[in-house]
Amino acid sequence: MKKVLLVDDDVDFCEATKLLLDSKGYDVFLAHDGKAGLEKALAAQPDLVILDVMMPEMNGYDVCVVLKADAELKKIPVILLTAVDQHMFKTTYTNVMGCMTEADDYIAKPVEPEELVKRMEELLPKN
Amino acid sequence: MLIKSSINILVVENDITVLQKCRELLVNEGHRVRTAESVEEALAIVQKQPGEVDIMLLSLELPGWGGLTLINVLQKAKREILIMTMSANCGEEAIEAVHAGAYDCIRKTFTADRFWTKINRAIEAFRLRRQLGVLTRQRQAVLSEVGHDENLSAILQSFTDGLVVTDWQTNIVLLNENAASLFDLTREKALGHPISDCIKSDELLSFFMRAIKSDSSLAPLMAGEEPVVKVGERAVRVHVDPVKNETGTAIGAACLFHDVTSISAMAKLRDDFLSMVSHELKAPLSSLLMQISVVLDGLAGDLSAKQSDLLGKAKEKTKGMITLVNDLLDYRRIQEGKSIQKIENLDMAEILRRTAELMRLSAEEKEITMSCDIAEELPSFTGDRGGVEAIFVNLISNAIKYTPKGGNVNVTLNKAGKEIRFRVVDNGMGIPSEDIDRIFDKFYRIKTEETRSISGSGLGLSIVKGIVDAHNGSIRVESEAGKGTTFVVSLPSEA
Repeated sequence: MKKVLLVDDDVDFCEATKLLLDSKGYDVFLAHDGKAGLEKALAAQPDLVILDVMMPEMNGYDVCVVLKADAELKKIPVILLTAVDQHMFKTTYTNVMGCMTEADDYIAKPVEPEELVKRMEELLPKN
Repeated sequence: MLIKSSINILVVENDITVLQKCRELLVNEGHRVRTAESVEEALAIVQKQPGEVDIMLLSLELPGWGGLTLINVLQKAKREILIMTMSANCGEEAIEAVHAGAYDCIRKTFTADRFWTKINRAIEAFRLRRQLGVLTRQRQAVLSEVGHDENLSAILQSFTDGLVVTDWQTNIVLLNENAASLFDLTREKALGHPISDCIKSDELLSFFMRAIKSDSSLAPLMAGEEPVVKVGERAVRVHVDPVKNETGTAIGAACLFHDVTSISAMAKLRDDFLSMVSHELKAPLSSLLMQISVVLDGLAGDLSAKQSDLLGKAKEKTKGMITLVNDLLDYRRIQEGKSIQKIENLDMAEILRRTAELMRLSAEEKEITMSCDIAEELPSFTGDRGGVEAIFVNLISNAIKYTPKGGNVNVTLNKAGKEIRFRVVDNGMGIPSEDIDRIFDKFYRIKTEETRSISGSGLGLSIVKGIVDAHNGSIRVESEAGKGTTFVVSLPSEA
């Protein structure tokens, strides 16, 4: 069973998304701030991390930077998921922050459940 | 005013020899001559026909009332008659006459040469005096017009806008109090000084220069939304026009200043607010969409048919709100002139293919047949990816929205000369001719029985127009109500 870590401070979003991912056969871990997310990532060694950007304690970019700086963790694919202005997200963050954080994909919120699952599957290693 | 070349001269002399001699000389030169042999007679002529005497040749040796008395009378009556006196030897009495207002004195023993030397000078003096009189009256006329001057300046002061007028060298010749306080000037500091010394804005100076040069590019600039220039901390909306004389030559420039500093600040606040609200709306909408989706998919337990139906509608409404929020953000960005964020080489065919694929689902839901013809070998295009996607998405989703069940939507992308042409044709409800000019206006939506149930922000087409403009492209629309609509977007390619 593939382990997915979802880090988002919106508890309702996490709850619903967990239901979705559970149904697709993923083992879902949740964290509601950047710091907790990083700790869970170290503890659970997930196969994929979904990171919200605007979060308390530590934002998604910073979490991503830490993950990608770690020799072991950096092979875990990271999807940045954010409600930041779609256009800003596609340009500014993709180009500047994206390069800095080396995230593997970016998805703008709101996202259709099917789209999220599709993008995750693209990043997860095939069995 | 034209000055008659011949002069009306009244000779007042009781010595007939002298009288005849004067008359002969003057008439020979074409002047009109009248004669009088006494002061009383002369006075009668002057009073009866005041304009008929320009110069009076007056003997100082008349019986009865002396010539001197006549001079005093005429001076008191402010007659514009030039008086040349004649006497035997131009002694004391002549000097006294000059004091009283006579111009000069001629000895009665004159030769023709001497006569003319004096008379010609007198005629010249008369003409100058008359010219002076004309100018004085004109000036008085102008002054009395400006007798409204006080009113006029009160009007200028009462403007809530600042007013500055310059001459053709951009030196300030007029400013009202509001202009002075707007730019922290005093009349002394400003009047007569170049505007560039008083109001620091190169842009403003260039408007004045263009107005003075009657540059034709200025008028259209001022006709639309007037430019806002920054002067120090202030934002000022300006309207500059040339000041022209009767022959149409620009002799200066006038500018009205409207302080929009607080309005600009408000606009920024409004944009920040809009942006904040949009983001604050998007996060909960993301949750809502995910929650409804998982429940609808039965991931939180089985649903009855009725529950599914209601939740399905709730999901559509949620998606509609998401589109609205995105439109607001897009619109704000275009307003800010940020519709082109990043210029890159774009594979238009690939972008359209992906967009059409996304839209296919909603077309199928409405049983609309959607075809997509993309020409091979399209010229290369550089532009903003998000912008191009927005053009495709908005036009295709509109076509699907406004085409009834079972209709057709045809999308084509091909090369037309040096342009890439994107065309969306539908056989839907069409656009009534009275609405067609307004469809690109923001928040404009066609309101008919058919469109009532279709949701939308009315921003889509104004966003498309903004993006097309930013790419130096053009968009045109052909439509007939009830028959269908065709949108054609032409974007300039590199090739």
